[in-house]
Amino acid sequence: MDTSQLLKGVLDLAVLAVLRKEDGYGYDVLRRLRQGGLDDVGDASVYGTLRRLYNAGLLTSYVVPSEEGPHRKYYSLNEPGRERLLESGKTWKSFARTLDDLLGEGA
Amino acid sequence: MNTQTNTEVQHYLDGMRDALSDLPAAEVAEIMDDAGAHVVEVAEEMGDEFSLAALIDRLGTPRAYAEELRVAAGYPSPSSPAAATGGGTSFVARLAFWSLVAGTVVAFGFGFTRGDTLEATVLVGLCTAAAALLVFRQEGLMADIAALPETKAVKDALARADRSDVQRAFASLRTFQPVWWVGRALLIAAGGILVYRPAFGFLVALALAALSLVAGPKARTDRRWLWVSLPSTGFALGVLLLILGTLMTRWDSYPISNSTSYNAPPPTPANIYVFDKDGKPLTDVHLYDEDGRPLNAPWYGCDGDNRHDNRYPRPRVVHDETGCHETPGVPFTVVMPTVPTTTTPPTTTSQPTATESPAPSTTPSAPVTTTG
Repeated sequence: MDTSQLLKGVLDLAVLAVLRKEDGYGYDVLRRLRQGGLDDVGDASVYGTLRRLYNAGLLTSYVVPSEEGPHRKYYSLNEPGRERLLESGKTWKSFARTLDDLLGEGA
Repeated sequence: MNTQTNTEVQHYLDGMRDALSDLPAAEVAEIMDDAGAHVVEVAEEMGDEFSLAALIDRLGTPRAYAEELRVAAGYPSPSSPAAATGGGTSFVARLAFWSLVAGTVVAFGFGFTRGDTLEATVLVGLCTAAAALLVFRQEGLMADIAALPETKAVKDALARADRSDVQRAFASLRTFQPVWWVGRALLIAAGGILVYRPAFGFLVALALAALSLVAGPKARTDRRWLWVSLPSTGFALGVLLLILGTLMTRWDSYPISNSTSYNAPPPTPANIYVFDKDGKPLTDVHLYDEDGRPLNAPWYGCDGDNRHDNRYPRPRVVHDETGCHETPGVPFTVVMPTVPTTTTPPTTTSQPTATESPAPSTTPSAPVTTTG
């Protein structure tokens, strides 16, 4: 099964999760997702997701100038973002359990 | 990064910007801040192995990149370029554009004139509503509108303003945008109360206020919401100016303090006659209350001239068969009651109090001094 299809539904949650401990700029978030094992995640999808979460008021952003190259826009989780992460995390866990049960030892 | 790389990365970025050009400029700028920096970073990482082909291999074509980002960000899908060729659609696009402009202007006028322009507003309002419906329903219309020469002119003007200092000042105000959205909704509701009071129109205003609240954040990423957001802004600004204007005239007519309107209105009999203790009428007396505020009252003369002051007594205005007359003076005389020895003389006379300061006179009725 193509994991990129699965990813679409949970990319929000994944992005919120990697921003929980530490703020990050776009490429940072992308790297953390890949390091976490989401190899299939698309670059543009991550940037798009960041914009959507930001426009939905779940993230705040600030710009940090960098010595070499363009300045970087960091995103950080705000209170609504934390709440969303908690909620969606619960939903995901119960969903994953349900699917595990359905699959049983067949998988 | 060498110049060659630079040009090719720039080319890639231009392609991306092009593919996103239907989105609001501010949002595109934000995206390019993020994703543009990302492209540059990826290109830098490639080092010597960089080529446009390698970049496209890694990230996809600029258009594909933009499309993937668009889907993930939940922006409206781009309009199909095929639709932009029909002559009919450009007419609809033009109609939608000018309806937006007219709708905004008329909404402003409607708010500012307190609903004087009802017929025109209903007419143009319907046009704008129809245009909004079209914009939301008809795919590709936004691209047609974006392709109109007038839209391009507006865009160019905005882009020029973007580079000026004024824009930098405005950019910092973006943080307060949500405050404005709420304020705008309140102003629209206030406009509903000012114009209609509790009637059907008031409900419409409330609904519009709610709609404008939704339109604010939406318009940031989806231009179609401008058809709601701009007329809302026009109306809200009109109401704001109206309210400010009303407040200014209030201040003009109550120069001392606004609180006068909360106190009981000053006694304003048609006329007031003042006599000193000898029964001599006093003219040109100016009346004040305990706070030193003039007891102003309006007075209307014969030829439409009027005053608003605290000078009494006023000339009497008499209407008879020969017309209207203004008669100065006092129409009656009074006999002052005898002042008993045990009480202090009445303080309502205009005599200087210094002359009364000697011990109470032993002669009961004779005046001590004469009025000057």
